[in-house]
Formats: sequence, structure tokens, C-alpha cells
Amino acid sequence: MDQEKQEARFLSLLRPIEADLENYSRRMVFEQGDCEDALQNAVLRAFRAFDRYHDDASFRAWMFKILTNEIFAINRKRGRVAQFEIAVEPDEIEEFASLDFVAEMSLSWETLADALDEELVAALQRLNDGERAVLLMRAIGDLRYREIGECLGIPLGSVMGNLSRARQKMRDAILRARRLRRAGVPRLWNEGGRPSL
Amino acid sequence: MKCAEVRQFVRLYLDSELDAKNSFEVEQHLESCAECAGLFEAEKKFDVRLGRFLRRGDAMRALWENIEVQIAPARRGKLRALWPIALAASVVIAASAVFLAKSRSLDLANAVEECHSAYVHQLTAPEFNGPVPDKIAQQFGGQLDTAAFAYLPSQTTFNSSGARLCHVEGVPVALILGHCGKTPVSMIVFKKSELDHFPKTKRKLESGDPIACSRSGRYQFAARFVDDHVVCVIGDRPRPALEDLLRTVRRADG
Repeated sequence: MDQEKQEARFLSLLRPIEADLENYSRRMVFEQGDCEDALQNAVLRAFRAFDRYHDDASFRAWMFKILTNEIFAINRKRGRVAQFEIAVEPDEIEEFASLDFVAEMSLSWETLADALDEELVAALQRLNDGERAVLLMRAIGDLRYREIGECLGIPLGSVMGNLSRARQKMRDAILRARRLRRAGVPRLWNEGGRPSL
Repeated sequence: MKCAEVRQFVRLYLDSELDAKNSFEVEQHLESCAECAGLFEAEKKFDVRLGRFLRRGDAMRALWENIEVQIAPARRGKLRALWPIALAASVVIAASAVFLAKSRSLDLANAVEECHSAYVHQLTAPEFNGPVPDKIAQQFGGQLDTAAFAYLPSQTTFNSSGARLCHVEGVPVALILGHCGKTPVSMIVFKKSELDHFPKTKRKLESGDPIACSRSGRYQFAARFVDDHVVCVIGDRPRPALEDLLRTVRRADG
């Protein structure tokens, strides 16, 4: 009976986050077979360790941590090693103030769709494992910075640094896509030279 | 706060990592500074676009089935044996609940509850992310209201899983499926002109109520006009939270 309760409880916590785990794994590993192996190994490992999970912790963050370990193990086998740049202080993160650039991002998104996706896939593949893990944990997993740091065993400053760099690279990809399409795209800037917000 | 300071906080604010005091000051500044507000809005669009891209992909249903069998083989066997009884009991309970609730709920809330319930119980799933695929649009010979699929909440707490076409009382609607935290939330969008099918909701919205709220079964429901569309959200969330979410819905390509 206890075993059945345990199974039911585990599945009730797992089901709402299955899609997020799936997307995270797909974007971290890229190969379907490896992606499925990582998911299956991680979920079964988590279930076996479920008696050590405490209600006061986030199940989502706990699962992401276990899945990330599986993914890094697979990537190591494939010769890709997780990289982190540790020495980033939180107050250095405000490099985000490159807001002229941000303003340009507000231009017509949907006109870029196809070129954009190709660029985004390529950009995601160019990120190192650390940057990609942090970006995906935030964008797909909706994890807090602190939870991401705990998952990856890195300080808060490194979480913020990796996240900032990853987003910057994805933005660069979008800008590249825009440049590719610019010739064929209708006028994107209004008379005042400001982006159409 | 001055512009430069506010702009330093853009990511922390959008990632909900800023403390309450600074968040409040950022919000105050944004209300009075169109330029900073525009920059924050641009950054939100980046999040939405990136999120859509990252979540795109076919669901691996067979894999999850296989994993669940490995976790609970005996339980699944028992459940299969008991499903006719469970189904009959569910139908009786659901019918009683619907009968009691329908007289008080808005007609549109009752109608969309079915769609949402199917999503919650994993009987329906998103079919695509982003714009309506040509294959689907072509089936309607150009009659499909593709603009309805472009509406999304800008609130970052809503994670869209994708969209699909659905019919509510014969009205084709855009059904955008997602989660707020761990709770499934559905958004339904259709042309204002179709509101004649739901006279109770129409009366309420046209009487000047900016948001029409109702409960349908276990779910809260809220609807409002956005441009020339009716946008509704439904989910097992507190009513104020759904109303807040609904207020942030904008046409993403607008």
C-alpha cells in the first residue's frame, strides 16, 4: 500500500513537469536517442531516491538537478565537457544595460520566423553546456536563480553571468536572422529612426 | 529611480528576482517613462519568442507511458481493470456537478470548461507552437481566424505549451494551452462577432464590466475584450490571479 501511495505521489508530481523536462532534455542533448535515455534514466533514478525527497524542496528543481546530471554524463561520454566561468560577481551582471540593442529587438518578430529558428538552433548549439543549462533552466524550467545554482553547484554570480551571456548570444542570433532578412522585409524603422514598439 | 538604474534591473525584474521594494520602484518608474517601458516590453517579447522556440517539439508520449509502466506496473494493471467503474462514477459525479453549477455560471464558462478539462486530464494536447501551420489554415480555405492565435499573456508566470484549434458550441476558437506554475491554464480566443452564441456573457461584457468572471465546476473563469476579440482564461487558480493574467494579454504581432 505504501509503495502504491509512493508511486502515485511521485507520478502526480512528475506529470505536470513532464513537458518541461522533455523540452529541457531535447534542447540540452540534441539527439533524440540520447534525449530519451537521459529522461528515462533521470526519472527512474529520481523514483528510486524518492524517499530522500522532502516536501519543503521544489520537486521541479530536484528533478532538473537529477536530469542535468544525466545529461552531463551523456555529454561527457560524447566528449563534451560542461564549462562554467565561475568568477562572475552579481554586480557585474548589469551589462544588460546595452539597451539600444534591446530596443532593436522589438521589431516585427513574426516576419523573421523561419530564418530566426535556424539561427536560434545554431546559437543554442554554440552555447557551452553551462550557459545552455542555465538558460534552459530559467526559460523552460522557470527555476529561480538560487535553484539553478543549487542544481549546477555553482554560485549565484555564475548563474547570472552564464544567463546573461547566453541571452546575449541568442539575441545576436536574432539580429543575424534579421540582417539576413532585412533586404526582403518591409521598412522596419519609422520616420523618426526609432523602432516600432 | 532614474532610467539608468531601472534599466540595470530589467532582467532581475522580469525574472522575478528583484526584491519587493525595488520592484515597486521599477513599476512606478515604468508608469511614467514610456522609453523604459518600451525597453522592458521589448525584453518581454524576447522571452516570449525564445520560450516558444525552446518549447517546440513533438511530445514523447510513448516514452512517458513506458516510464510510468516501469514506475508503477501493478497499479496500472489494476487501474485498467477498474476503469469502467471509475469512468461510470466520474460521469455521474461530473453530471451532478455540471447540473448544479450550470444554472449559476456564465454560458461561455460552461462551454470552455470542457476544453480545459480535457487538457487537464491529458485527453487533448497542443498541436503547434507559433503561427498556425499552413496545413491547418488551408483546411479552412482562408476562413480561419489566424489572428486569434497571436494573443498571449505578457505575464511571465504563464508558460505556453502550444496551441490548437477547438470548437466551443460550434464556434471555432484558438485554444492556447499552458501552465501557471504547475497549474494548467487554458486561454480561449475568438472573434467578438461570435459572442452572440453566448448571450449571458455578452450581456455581462457589454454592460460595462471590463472583465466577466464566473466559476465553472472547479475552475475559475475570466473573459474580456481585447481589440476585436474575446479572450478568456480558465484554470484552477484564484480569481484575482486569473484576472491579472488576463489583463496582460496582448496580440503578440500587434
